Amino acid sequence: MGDVEARPTLGDVEAILAALAHEGYIADREIATAIYLSIELHKPLLVEGAAGVGKTEIAKVMARALGTDLIRLQCYEGLDVHTALYEWNYQKQMLRIRLEEGSGRSPEEKEQTIFSEPFLLRRPLLQAITHPRAPVLLIDEVDRVDEEFEAFLLEVLSDWQITIPEIGTIRAQHVPYVVLTSNRTRELSDALRRRCLYLWIDYPTFEKELAIVLRKVPGVSRRLAEQIAAFLHAARALDLQKVPGVAETLDWSAALIRLHRDHLDREAVERTLGCLFKHHEDQRVAKGPWLDRALAVIAEAQRDGQALEASLDRLERLAKG
Amino acid sequence: MRPEFGSLTEHVVEFGRRLRAAGVLCGPAEVADALRALQAVDVVDREAFRLALRSTLPHRREDLRVFDALFEPYWMGRATRQQPQDARDAPSQAQAEPLAGAPSVQRWAQGAEDGEQEVPGYSPLEILGRKDFSTFREDELDAIARLVVAIARRIATRWSRRRRRARRSHALDMRRTLRLHLRWGGAFPELAFQRRRVRKHRIVLLCDVSGSMDVYSRFLIQFVYALQGAVGRVESFVFSTSLTRVTRELRTPSLRGALDRLSRSVPNWSGGTKIGASLRQFLDRYGGLLDRRTVVLIVSDGWDTGEVDVLRRAMHEIRARAARVIWLNPLLGSPGYQPLTRGMQAALPYVDVFASAHNADSLRELEHALGKRLRAG
Ligand SMILES: Nc1ncnc2c1ncn2[C@@H]1O[C@H](COP(=O)(O)OP(=O)(O)OP(=O)(O)O)[C@@H](O)[C@H]1O
Ligand SMILES: [Mg+2]
Repeated sequence: MGDVEARPTLGDVEAILAALAHEGYIADREIATAIYLSIELHKPLLVEGAAGVGKTEIAKVMARALGTDLIRLQCYEGLDVHTALYEWNYQKQMLRIRLEEGSGRSPEEKEQTIFSEPFLLRRPLLQAITHPRAPVLLIDEVDRVDEEFEAFLLEVLSDWQITIPEIGTIRAQHVPYVVLTSNRTRELSDALRRRCLYLWIDYPTFEKELAIVLRKVPGVSRRLAEQIAAFLHAARALDLQKVPGVAETLDWSAALIRLHRDHLDREAVERTLGCLFKHHEDQRVAKGPWLDRALAVIAEAQRDGQALEASLDRLERLAKG
Repeated sequence: MRPEFGSLTEHVVEFGRRLRAAGVLCGPAEVADALRALQAVDVVDREAFRLALRSTLPHRREDLRVFDALFEPYWMGRATRQQPQDARDAPSQAQAEPLAGAPSVQRWAQGAEDGEQEVPGYSPLEILGRKDFSTFREDELDAIARLVVAIARRIATRWSRRRRRARRSHALDMRRTLRLHLRWGGAFPELAFQRRRVRKHRIVLLCDVSGSMDVYSRFLIQFVYALQGAVGRVESFVFSTSLTRVTRELRTPSLRGALDRLSRSVPNWSGGTKIGASLRQFLDRYGGLLDRRTVVLIVSDGWDTGEVDVLRRAMHEIRARAARVIWLNPLLGSPGYQPLTRGMQAALPYVDVFASAHNADSLRELEHALGKRLRAG
């Protein structure tokens, strides 16, 4: 399948961990193994998990690490085959017809001209298949499409070829690296699942989140980063409508830095609450009496020079009430 | 069953069968992938070995949990003695024959692929469909749940075929226009380039789980969830004396398990009913879910022990904000029943569709009410 150049690999699991870290993505062996096997076995990787835990980002860093292009098919309700695959450029076709008026060519000849490759608009799937070098194909939020489109995707991901009636069958030169993500708003079919390797990403552990904040938030002190990670660990145990993901953690951290905060207190949290909690009701819950106790536990642990990790269970219990 | 001195390949095959027996979506294809994966990692590294199997055998979050529960007990016993030798075994064996065709994998397929029947054989379909949900015995519930899901799937397929036709016809028109023009010349017709968007509804499910309503709500939830992909998003709530949002809990393929768990954890499940107060609670906390694409589906017998006026006002508001309100009252299915409870009478003026949903046949009839185009755009 393809030569080394056209479909490079990233090396073994350790090498992948390093490559991802280099691109700013904090992974563990589970994630790295899934990526590694997806590359080695030429199988799509289905990544599921809650909102904002780093599913989409995986495809982006893979592309950067592999030094190849990222082609993204963003899914949404009502996405149809043409938008995903190809469309005819009707405007261009009409222009051509006008230009050829009076040229004396037969209708059949004209038709052949305007239904040929130059008049094709390549949408993401066709782009991915015809790319000269295996790209990373990101099929983002695949749970939003309907069963019919899902069945079509399954066909493409199995055969790696596409038939355009006017042109013929186009076969992939190099099988793309495929990443599918899903938030599980709808269950995917068993068939599509079985076509893929599977990775579930959970909310990050304290250590992982700390590493992400330290890595991605310019100007953050270790002390504040630890407080942020501990706070989120607790906050995710609250009874919320929308649990904050890593995206929210990063927004919030940046806001705290902008306010020149080097530690958490009630006032800082209240002023920046909107970054973490999008629902009014959640903000009310977060501002509740547990907050003072949680902040006290965090402050106390750090004052005594203990590792904050030792207090995580207590924080979680506070949040659960 | 467990082979005493098998090769690594045989152990993986056997492990795959056990996962499958425990309900994991996993067959010979997965085992073949797992074996390929083991060639790509260092199998003497215990963690690498585990992660290779974990990335290839399960495909669902729920299945990861089963995998985690079974992994240690299965592999602990045999690792120390056999692994070093197996580690050397596996690749050479694999090179000798294409793995998916390996005899052991084929045996796996033959041994484990016992048919999954959709509908039980012991009871004719028509009778199942007509029987009131509350009259099934405990041990029949699974069978009838499968029937309900099968009905929903058929409806969903029909809808998606319909949508497909709508979309295709449009694309073809464009092509035909051009071809006709090529042949016949003349002025260009006005051409519309936007494709018609086929928009789906959102369904808000409000299920009464007080007293005897519990069983009907369970079936309706399973029905609506099986339709979900074809209908649109579903937001689910259960209520008795107060309301609980359960959308997140139900986001799982094993609905029955989730429902059982919920019935133990939701306060007042199977208690009394305050419909008006519960709907008010819904509007106050989650009213934002209602818009012109939302179909509200209420399952309740209308037996409200609260103030009738609270119910009337809540219904009025729901009706004003949603696209359509469907009230399913299972008692409608009992011969001679008149919806005369005060609560039901107060609610009826705000209801677009009033139906029974007390058995599988009546769910089938919901197809039209749920699939119909919405009033406003
Ligand atoms: N492990 C990680 N290392 C570094 N950054 C991360 C990690 N996980 C998430 N992020 C950051 O968090 C943000 C959200 O990630 P991403 O968009 O990939 O989430 P998602 O799971 O796709 O969310 P959604 O379900 O909302 O699409 C991004 O800015 C990403 O860079
Ligand atoms: Mg994403």
